[in-house]
Amino acid sequence: MTVQEDYQPVFIGKVLEELQTVLGRYPNKQAALLPALWIAQREHGWISDRIMAEVAEVLGVTPAYVKGVVTFYTMYHQHPVGKNFVQVCTTSPCNLCGAEAVLKALLAQTGAGDAGATSPDGKWTIVEVECLGACGFATPVLVNDDFVENVTPDKVADLVKKYR
Amino acid sequence: MADGMINLTIDGAPVSVPPGTLVIEAAKQAGVLVPHYCYHPGLPVAGVCRMCLVEVEKAPKLQIACATTVTEGMVVNTQSVQAKDARQSVLEFLLINHPLDCPICDQAGECELQDFVFQEGQAGTRFGEFAKRFNPVEDFGPDVLYVPNRCILCTRCVRFMEDVAKEPVLNVSERGDRAFIGIHPEARLDHPWAGNVVDLCPVGSLLSKDFLHKARAWELDKTASICTGCSQGCNITLDTRDEVVVRVRPRPNLDVNRYFICDHGRMHYRWMNRGDRIEAPLLRRDGELKAVDWDEALNHVAGILRGASGKAVALVSAGASSEALAAAKRLLSGFTWTGAFQVVMGEEASLAGVPNLALRAERAPNAKGAEQLGYTRDYAPAIAAAKTAAVVLVLDDPDCAVVADGALIYLGTVLDENAACRRADVILPIANVAEEEGTFTNRDGREQRYFQAKPAPGMAQPAAWVLGELARAMGLAEVA
Amino acid sequence: MGYPHKSHPKETVVLSQYFGDADARTFKGWTKRGGYEALAQSLKMDPVAVTDVVKESGLRGRGGAGFPTGLKWSFMPKEKKKAHYLCVNADESEPGTFKDREIMRWTPHALLEGTAIAAHAIRAEVAYIYIRGEFTEPWTIMERALAEANAAGVFGTIKIHLHRGAGAYICGEETALMNSIEGKRGNPRIKPPFPAAAGLFGLPTTINNVETLAAVPHIIKRGAAWYKALCLSNPKSTGTKLFSVCGHVQRPGNYEVTMGFPLKDLLYDMCGGPPAGRTLKACIPGGSSVPILTREETEACLLDYEGVVATGSMLGSGGVIVFDDSADMVYQIMRLARFYAHESCAQCTQCREGTAWTTKIMERILAGQGKPKDLDLLLDLSENMTGKTICVLSDSCAAPIVSGIKKFRGEFEAYLAGKRQPVMVG
Repeated sequence: MTVQEDYQPVFIGKVLEELQTVLGRYPNKQAALLPALWIAQREHGWISDRIMAEVAEVLGVTPAYVKGVVTFYTMYHQHPVGKNFVQVCTTSPCNLCGAEAVLKALLAQTGAGDAGATSPDGKWTIVEVECLGACGFATPVLVNDDFVENVTPDKVADLVKKYR
Repeated sequence: MADGMINLTIDGAPVSVPPGTLVIEAAKQAGVLVPHYCYHPGLPVAGVCRMCLVEVEKAPKLQIACATTVTEGMVVNTQSVQAKDARQSVLEFLLINHPLDCPICDQAGECELQDFVFQEGQAGTRFGEFAKRFNPVEDFGPDVLYVPNRCILCTRCVRFMEDVAKEPVLNVSERGDRAFIGIHPEARLDHPWAGNVVDLCPVGSLLSKDFLHKARAWELDKTASICTGCSQGCNITLDTRDEVVVRVRPRPNLDVNRYFICDHGRMHYRWMNRGDRIEAPLLRRDGELKAVDWDEALNHVAGILRGASGKAVALVSAGASSEALAAAKRLLSGFTWTGAFQVVMGEEASLAGVPNLALRAERAPNAKGAEQLGYTRDYAPAIAAAKTAAVVLVLDDPDCAVVADGALIYLGTVLDENAACRRADVILPIANVAEEEGTFTNRDGREQRYFQAKPAPGMAQPAAWVLGELARAMGLAEVA
Repeated sequence: MGYPHKSHPKETVVLSQYFGDADARTFKGWTKRGGYEALAQSLKMDPVAVTDVVKESGLRGRGGAGFPTGLKWSFMPKEKKKAHYLCVNADESEPGTFKDREIMRWTPHALLEGTAIAAHAIRAEVAYIYIRGEFTEPWTIMERALAEANAAGVFGTIKIHLHRGAGAYICGEETALMNSIEGKRGNPRIKPPFPAAAGLFGLPTTINNVETLAAVPHIIKRGAAWYKALCLSNPKSTGTKLFSVCGHVQRPGNYEVTMGFPLKDLLYDMCGGPPAGRTLKACIPGGSSVPILTREETEACLLDYEGVVATGSMLGSGGVIVFDDSADMVYQIMRLARFYAHESCAQCTQCREGTAWTTKIMERILAGQGKPKDLDLLLDLSENMTGKTICVLSDSCAAPIVSGIKKFRGEFEAYLAGKRQPVMVG
């Protein structure tokens, strides 16, 4: 494995302690992979190839294995994202209730432009996601870990203001 | 059943197999090949390609033959309308993103997608003018190229690296129709047995850089042989095109190498095509080597042997056939005989998921055979004894640095400018392993036969023939 | 109900009694409301006895399959030779469904209690609650509740852990869920082996849905006969069900009704029907993976497992998606196909390629570039995608396509004939 001198390991000190606690919940190390990746993403903002290699080493699996898992699950970021990572549901139940208009409004008002792109000021990445499990509260919008319900196009301005 | 076997019917044919047998394996007994991709007897079952769907009486849905165990009285129909339709639909789904690369794809002619589409696929496509998924070719290194566009995601390669090589360096990345076989950027596919993924790949997605665009599958003649890379004795097939060995592939042998060979053996064939061969028997006359025909050469050597007595030393290669080694010993049976060989050693590299399978430290195929015939590894003492021996016979050992006061007879395929054996009195050209038939005994004592894949150049002959003819000329009796 | 609405008189309030009541989320608040008595009672009973009560009640899996819960528990090995596991499926990702989220948000202890009782019944030492990654609020609430309950020591020797998903609908499939807990890609497994024989970490495992387990404490406390009596139609469907109503209705939300309740009453009486001036056109009664119903079928449908099957669909997860006459059925079905194409795990050929191909054809039709044979092609692909794969995601993609073309063919043909303006770019 190449050694990058400026690489700061994620799993040291308190973070490593946290992982040890997590490891105690499973009979083998591999099962702690999803929780470990969540911790890594929380600490670093996204999961780089180098971090995948570190997680692999800590859990006794290969980097390729970790990469296969990371690319399967949509919530792990494989590249840096804006300060606000916004997930907008547009699957049919929300679609019926105007989700696409909400998405459009968000893209326009944050300056992100295209879904998946980060706004020039680095503050927003908006993505279209599948059913968020809040269909009766259309349209749900996840801003980082904040689950905002009942978003309509006219509420977008306030939402953007709140999180900017 | 009384005899512990399970009896079932496959496509109308009665079949009797041990309990626990998979339907896809039981079908072979009925002479039925159930079309499949992801299944491989050397890998754990995945059941993902869905190609082997067959109809099983009383089952509400089609079952995959690769994951269904036989039951008593089971009735299987692989040719029912439902089963054939299902397989045809799988082929259709596989072809929608698969590029029409056959004209430029190495796999053509030995491609399982071609085979089954030809056998039971549709004539045309309904996909129309949608764009096919595209990903650029990747170099998994050192020898393996990955062409994602052709990949059918059977995952044989992933399972091989994970479960047989026990080094999970390949993964499936992404999801849905975006999926492809991935490798971590810091990793390379350099496991000593990684080349097997190229054989396992049913299509032309994983390719050998060594073989890339070298030959078409239908141009190849295939000959059963034994790998000379080490003492494991893996069974191989030599693929030749116009009498040049262009590829080595594993030949299944459940007792030796199962379905695999290591990369060292896989790449160990170029020497079989060397052009700088000794092409005629050479006798030293007036200080110079002169080409003669076999009769003259054999008579001359017989004369040398008849006129000599005392010590004889045979310095041999551990890659010579057992037949040649035995004949050499017989030839020198009238002397006080010392026979020795030296073997190049290397690092062992096992295939972790298969018991007793490794690239062995001894990089020669017949050390055991030589030992069984009485040759020893005391090479240095033998070299020393050769100085004063009456006759020194060097067999297929071009690096032999012997200095002999007595008669020096060299049997070999090549002889470099500065080789010690250039000073030999007689130089006889022999065939290499690809040019003759013979036997090697592997490290476990298993005798295995290899066959002739291409003609020997010039007047070269199998060493066993040369030595046998010499013995005949000497009037020596056959060994019982 | 049904936060944020008040309970409707026609509801049978059992699971949803404390929806909207923040105090019920706390350990103290829950015990004040009679919580954890059922668990204490169960822990004193023989595991088989607990299973028998649940069997007798007629409780069936509320995640979508409707498999009898007590029967599923009884599949676990009779002899305890290895560790047993319970997995709680809180991966709720079926479009139209949002009931498990509410159970976790408002009554986390109900779920914990049901989990512990189930773990006891199947003799599981450890239970994992698999919560989808997007459920950030339920996660926090469940974490807090678990910490409180652990501190109070109510679970005895049973260990309950929360495990966070990371964005994959397919992890709601029971074998994929197990793979995900094991730290793998969420690929469904071929069966056999079945989870009760070899499941999580290769050991005997039972997987149950959140709503199913939330009902268990009530059944233990009030008795199987009580639960069984909650039945309006077919005796094989007992108890109450949370129906998540969404789409074109005036009052979307979760509504708890007795099994066999008329869908018509749910939609019109409780939810107020479609917005003013609009009429009901279609309804998917059980989450997007079940066939679409026409208005006539919807208004005749009784909400229990057999009733919905008799109407030509399935109860599934109970996610009721309502389409009024302003809905573009073709567009919405395309969006569903796209959902399945995004979520396919990529193992099976038919699903991996078929969901994407189906989506492409639907998009083509919506772009005004549909071909005359497209409908037949879609139907043929759907047939090829049904009953031939490891799991039913492939079949689920086919369901709206087949029922949509069958029942709303006119809308498709309008696009094909150029009678409708394209709504997508080709």
